Amino acid sequence: MKYWISLLVLMSMLWGESTTLEVSKNVNVLSKLSIVDGSLKGIEHSGKFHKMLVADMKVVSLFDVDEAYAQDSYEIKNHANALFVLRYRLDDDGSGGFKADVKLFQNGLELFSKIYMLKQREMVVFLAHSIAYDINAKMGGAPMEWMKRKVIMVRLNGARKSEIVAADYTLSYQKVLLGGGMYGFAKWANREQTDFYYTSLSDFKPTIYKVNLASGVKEKIISSDGMAVCSDVNENGKKLLLTLAPNGQPDVYMYDLTTKEKTRITNYSGIDVNGQFVGNEMIAFVSNRFGNPNVFGQKINSNAVNQLVFEGKNNSSFSAYRNLIVYKTRGDSGFDLKIASLNGGGSRTLTTSGDNDYPRFSYDGEAVLHIKQEGSRSLVGIIRLDLRRSFAFPLHVGRIQSLDW
Amino acid sequence: MKRITFTSVVLALLMFSGCADKEPTIDLTKNVAGSSSIDQMPSVTKSSTDTSAVIAPITTASSVDNSANSANGANGANGANGAAAQGISSIYFDYDKFDIREDMQVSLKTNGNLVKNKTFKLEGNCDEFGSDEYNFALGLKRANSVKSVLIEGGVSADAISMTSLGEGNPVCSEKTQECWAKNRRVDFKLP
Repeated sequence: MKYWISLLVLMSMLWGESTTLEVSKNVNVLSKLSIVDGSLKGIEHSGKFHKMLVADMKVVSLFDVDEAYAQDSYEIKNHANALFVLRYRLDDDGSGGFKADVKLFQNGLELFSKIYMLKQREMVVFLAHSIAYDINAKMGGAPMEWMKRKVIMVRLNGARKSEIVAADYTLSYQKVLLGGGMYGFAKWANREQTDFYYTSLSDFKPTIYKVNLASGVKEKIISSDGMAVCSDVNENGKKLLLTLAPNGQPDVYMYDLTTKEKTRITNYSGIDVNGQFVGNEMIAFVSNRFGNPNVFGQKINSNAVNQLVFEGKNNSSFSAYRNLIVYKTRGDSGFDLKIASLNGGGSRTLTTSGDNDYPRFSYDGEAVLHIKQEGSRSLVGIIRLDLRRSFAFPLHVGRIQSLDW
Repeated sequence: MKRITFTSVVLALLMFSGCADKEPTIDLTKNVAGSSSIDQMPSVTKSSTDTSAVIAPITTASSVDNSANSANGANGANGANGAAAQGISSIYFDYDKFDIREDMQVSLKTNGNLVKNKTFKLEGNCDEFGSDEYNFALGLKRANSVKSVLIEGGVSADAISMTSLGEGNPVCSEKTQECWAKNRRVDFKLP
């Protein structure tokens, strides 16, 4: 019995902490992993890449990762006392990219070997993400497809100046997709992340456009006096939840991309925004109908509205995945994120420090991305829900207006 | 010791059992294990079938939206020149409110007289608090409150267009109450 109690006490200590990069405390029970740089000397980024890989392998959470930089021949199988050794060898591909050889050894036995081709050297962090994803899959870890996905965000650069930026999940890689105007609410248009929606605030009326990343072709979707936002895209990418305000009144509409017809779902004289699909028949949205911003639910073919969150007075931001919602609410020392099931049963706090905002479920519901402000520090946080672990990376992006994953 | 190991492995297996195709559930209790309770690695056999992978670049045909109008919007002037030069002032609001303050009534009435028989745009603005869409809606509701008063004062509804810029058009970036108050406003934009 005492073993059970000890184990549960130890485990309860693991949950709910959030510091830069790594929160795991009982790493000593995991097997040690050393990451060894086997690149030829003079290869740009090879040392920096080690740090990226260390960070990602910590997020993988299957090893006690040795942070110390190590360099050795790529052909040597063992390293120090580590049970597991991950070796990489970066090489210039001659056309602005990298060729990367990667091997994982356990006690000198090769478990994994793969060659990666990276077309754009500045995207080297995605190489680390891909390797970590593959190692996790090989070792049978929990799903981490989200690690390889791209984040799209709107970055405010000053008064009436903003950019749409693509990034990796740590927001360390950033590429401007659109600049030269004033934009808001960038959102991926499909699961494949080939297209995105955004609102142009430079037009006479706020206007939603769809852009294809490969071709740059821009298609006008809809405009509305006052406000036009693409808040959510359904699973097959054919229906949108929009916030429109044709008479100065922001409400949630559903827009069918096939028929180009819009249907008003909410109807309230205050603020109804940020509609998100909850399955095929219901939406969740933010409304101030009880005086403060809070999360409500409504069936698409019904006028009946249900309150979904019953705590806090300023729940203005949330993310939905199937029957789960993660929402922002004021806590004892700032804004926390909490998760609740729409099937009932209360809520669980996911963060314990700082001001946390912009929660976004990964498309598979496995993780939650968010932005954290701790004093003067800005961080991007990742919460692995099943593993009950959170990680945070330093954020150097300026002010974010919107975030999608 | 065997019991600890056995317990840990069982818990680890429970943690790693995926549920992607089922209705997701959460455990709302707090004394449940984290994945790091495992003390053995999942068994892995050597594979010789790992293939190469190509990490595709992020490409976009144009990173500059040349078709966008100037950042000042189609109406041109910003709050500091066109409208202000004609004696039109911004209307300010309290935190998280969109009703017209008592001390703004005179300014709004004056503005109404100055914009009669003109077409113009109302731009709602917010401080940096609040979350993306809600903040934009708050800015729009502020513009809509101003529009309602102007219409009551005899301004034609057809002469007024509205937009919200959320927190994207601050006139002040300091972290002070005074600064935030300056950003909670509605600007008048004249052609």
